[in-house]
Amino acid sequence: MNRCTHCDEDILIPIYSDLDKDHKEPFCCNGCLTVFNVINMKGLNQYYEIKKSSDIFKRRSPVETKHQRFSYMDAPEFVAEYSYLNLKKQRTMEFYLEGIHCLACLWLIEKLPEFLADVETARLDMQKSVATISVKSEGRFSSVARELNNLGYKPHPLKRNQSTHDFRKKEDRKMLLKIGIAGAGAGNIMLYAVSNYAGAPVNLSKIFNVISMIFAMPVFFYSATPFYQTAWNALKNKTLSIDVPIAMSLIMGVIMGVYNLITGVPDNYFDSLTALVFLLLLSRYFLNKIQNDGLTANDLNFFYEGNSVLKKEGSGFVEIHPQFLRAGDIIKVGSNEMIPADGKILEGESLINSSLLTGESRPENVKADSEVFSGTINLTNEILISVERTKEDSRIGKILKAVESGWLQKSHIVDLTNMISKYFTAAVLLLSGALFVYMYSHGTAHAALDKALTLLIVTCPCAMALATPMTLTRTLSRSSRKGMIIKNNEVIEKLSHIDTVFLDKTGTVTYGMLKVDTFNILKQPQISVYSIITSLEKFSTHPVATALKEFAVTMDKTADLDVQNYIEVPGIGVKGEINGRIYEIRNGKIFENDEVVASFSLLDHIRPDSQQAVKNLQSMNVNVAMISGDQKEIVQAIATDAGIKKDNMHSEMSPEQKLAMIEKTPHSLMVGDGANDAMALSRSYVSVAVLGSLDISLRAADIYLTTAGIAHIPDLITISKETMKVIKRNLILSALYNLLSVYAAFAGFISPLTAAIIMPVSSLTVLISTLIGTKKLNRILVKKERQ
Amino acid sequence: MEVLPIVIPLAILLALCFIGGFIWMTMKGQYDDLETPAMRMLLDQKEVKKTPLEITEDKLDPNKD
Repeated sequence: MNRCTHCDEDILIPIYSDLDKDHKEPFCCNGCLTVFNVINMKGLNQYYEIKKSSDIFKRRSPVETKHQRFSYMDAPEFVAEYSYLNLKKQRTMEFYLEGIHCLACLWLIEKLPEFLADVETARLDMQKSVATISVKSEGRFSSVARELNNLGYKPHPLKRNQSTHDFRKKEDRKMLLKIGIAGAGAGNIMLYAVSNYAGAPVNLSKIFNVISMIFAMPVFFYSATPFYQTAWNALKNKTLSIDVPIAMSLIMGVIMGVYNLITGVPDNYFDSLTALVFLLLLSRYFLNKIQNDGLTANDLNFFYEGNSVLKKEGSGFVEIHPQFLRAGDIIKVGSNEMIPADGKILEGESLINSSLLTGESRPENVKADSEVFSGTINLTNEILISVERTKEDSRIGKILKAVESGWLQKSHIVDLTNMISKYFTAAVLLLSGALFVYMYSHGTAHAALDKALTLLIVTCPCAMALATPMTLTRTLSRSSRKGMIIKNNEVIEKLSHIDTVFLDKTGTVTYGMLKVDTFNILKQPQISVYSIITSLEKFSTHPVATALKEFAVTMDKTADLDVQNYIEVPGIGVKGEINGRIYEIRNGKIFENDEVVASFSLLDHIRPDSQQAVKNLQSMNVNVAMISGDQKEIVQAIATDAGIKKDNMHSEMSPEQKLAMIEKTPHSLMVGDGANDAMALSRSYVSVAVLGSLDISLRAADIYLTTAGIAHIPDLITISKETMKVIKRNLILSALYNLLSVYAAFAGFISPLTAAIIMPVSSLTVLISTLIGTKKLNRILVKKERQ
Repeated sequence: MEVLPIVIPLAILLALCFIGGFIWMTMKGQYDDLETPAMRMLLDQKEVKKTPLEITEDKLDPNKD
C-alpha cells in the first residue's frame, strides 16, 4: 500500500500536487500536501531526505489544516502566565507539538531560528514532544505558533508549573544518582571480591573486606532506601510485597557483613547484594521512565482548553485564551470551531455537532436563545454566544470531575509478582526457621544462626523482582513505538482478564464523519454533476457539502464555475445560477431547473478494519458489544455491518447509562473517544481512547492509541496474554534458582561464592528469557514498520 | 605485591573521581533528556549561523569552560 509522503500513513485515495505530473509523491490528504508545499517553499526540503533515511520514532497522523488564531499569545497576561525567562534572560515558552514523528522533525524544529526572525533558540525533546522556544526581545510567540502550525505541528502552549516541574526533575535526578552510586559500589566491590574468591592471603583479604564495606555502605544506606520504604509501607498496610524479602535480605546482609568483619570471619555478601540493588533500581527506573513518557494527566489540560476565543470588548472583538473567559462575556464562534463555554446564543443560526458530548452523529439546528455546551463544535455559521458557565461549572467540566473521581475509585489489582511474594516470604521464613532448628540440633547456636541468616540472604528474590519490570518495560516500550501508549503497567495484567469489549460507534468503529454512500446520476445535466457540486457548495461548510465536495474531487475532474444569486438555507440546502441555469442541492437530490438530475445518500462509514478487528476479538472468545448514544437505526446498521451480535447493540445510551452498563460488567474493556464515553472509560476495568479523542477521554483511558480505529484492540489483548506468559516463565525460572540455593543451604555448601554465582546467573537467565519473548508477542511487537 | 599499597588507594581515588563526576553531571542536568541528543548528533549542523544552540534549561554554558 502507498504511504503518504508527509505523514507515512497508509493511503486509501492518494492525492497529488499539481506540479507532480508523474504522481511520484502521494499524499493522504490536503493537509499533508499543504505542509509539504510550505516546507518546500521555505527551502527546507532536506526534511524529506532526512526522514527517508531515518527510522520512524513515533507514529503520527495526517495533518489537519485548520484556520487557527494565535494572536492571543501576545496578550501581556498570557505571556506573563505561560512564559518564563531562561537563564540567558530570554523570554521562553514551551509548546507541546502534535505530530513529532522522526529525526526530520527534530531537524525542522531546531532550524526555526534560521528562518524565523522572532526566534532566538529552539530545542525539542523528542520523547515528550515538547519544544522549548525562546524569542528575541521584540519577538512574538504568536508568529512562532503560526509558523509551527504551518509546518504541520499543531502547537499547544504549556503552562509550566515551575514547582512540580522542578520537583519531578529533581526526583528523576535523585533516582539516577542512586543507580549510579549503586553501580559504582557494586563494580568496585567486585574487584576485591574476585581477589578474595581467587584466594587472596589473609592479611590482604581483611583489607579488601574493609574496602568492600566502605563501598557498600552508601549503597545500603542511600541507594537502597526505596526498597526499605516500600517494604515498610507494605508491612504497615499488613500486606507483603516483593520488596519485603528484598529489604530483609539487604538488612541481614549488612548486619552479618559488619558482624563478621568485626569478629574476623572472612564471609560477606556485599558483592552480590550491591549488584542486586543496582540491577533492581535500574529495571525499575526504566519501567518508570517508559510509563511517564506516555501522556500524563497533568500535561493534558490544554487539549480541553483548546485555542483562542474572540471576546467582545466595546464595539470590537479581542482574542483571548479560553482560560480568561468569565460568565457574562460575549463571544463569537466561527464555523468549524469548538464552543469554549456553556451559554445561550444571542445572534446567528447554525448547526452544532455535539457527537463528542452526547454521541449523537446528526448535527443539531440551533438559533437565538438555544443553549449550547462547551466541547461541541459549531459547524456552519458564525454565532454570538453569551457565556453562562465556564470551566468546571460547565457540563463538560462536571463530566471531567466525575472522570477524575472515577479514576480514584478504579479497582487496583495485586499483581502476580506481589501475590507470589506473599507465599515466597512465608516459605523463606519457615525454611530459615527449619534450618536453624536442624543446625542447632547438630551443632552450636552460633553456627545455626549463621546458616539461617545466610539462607535469608541468598534466597533474596532478585531474579523474581527483576523479571516483571524487565518484561513490562519491553512490552510497554515496544507497544508505544507501535502507537499503543499504555499508561501504566497494571493494565497489561488486567488486559489478559478481559471478557467483554464495549465499542463506541462514532469516531471509533466509524470515521466519525459523513461520506457519500450511494450516488446515482439520473440524467446528464448540461455541465458535469461534479462541477455543479464543486461550484455550488464551495461556500458551504455544512458536513453534507464537505462530504459531497470530497466525493466530487475523487470522481472526476471538476471545474470551478461562477455562481450567481447564491443562497444557502440552513438545514435545507444551497441554490444558485450557473451559466443561466438554476441548480439546487437539497434533500439528497441535485436539481437542474427543478428537474432531478442526481440523487445521493450519505452515511458515516464504517472503517475498513473494524470488521476484521471484531472477528478477531470474537475468535478470542471475547464478547463484543456496541454502546452508543446515537439513534437506534444508525447503531443497528453500523453494528450489523461490523459483525456484532444483535443482543449486543445498545443505542441511545446517555453517559450515565453507559457507566451503569460498564459497572455491571466486571472485566470489560471500553473503547471510546468522546466526552459521553469519558465516565464509562474512567470506571471500566480497562479503557482505550483512540486517535481523535477528546482530552477528557484521553485522561480517563488507560491506553491511548495513536492510530484511529479499533484494529489494534485484538493486538492489545494478545500482547497482554503473551506478556503474562513471559512473566510466568520468568517467575518459574527464578523460583527454580531459589530452590537451588535453599538446597545448597541445607546441604551445607552455601558460601558467598555460591551466592555470587547463582545470583547473576539467575538474573541473566531471566533477562534472556525476557528478550526472547514469545513468538506471538514478537510477531506483533518486533515486526518491522516497513517491509 | 609490594605495589598494592600504592595501587589500591589509587584505584579508590580514581573511583571516587568518577563518582564525583557522575554526581556533578547528574546535578547539572546532563541526563535529563537521553533521547534527543542521540538523534541531534546525526544531523548536519554546518549551516547553523553564528548563534550556537544553547541548552536553555541548564546552567551549563559551553562557551565558558
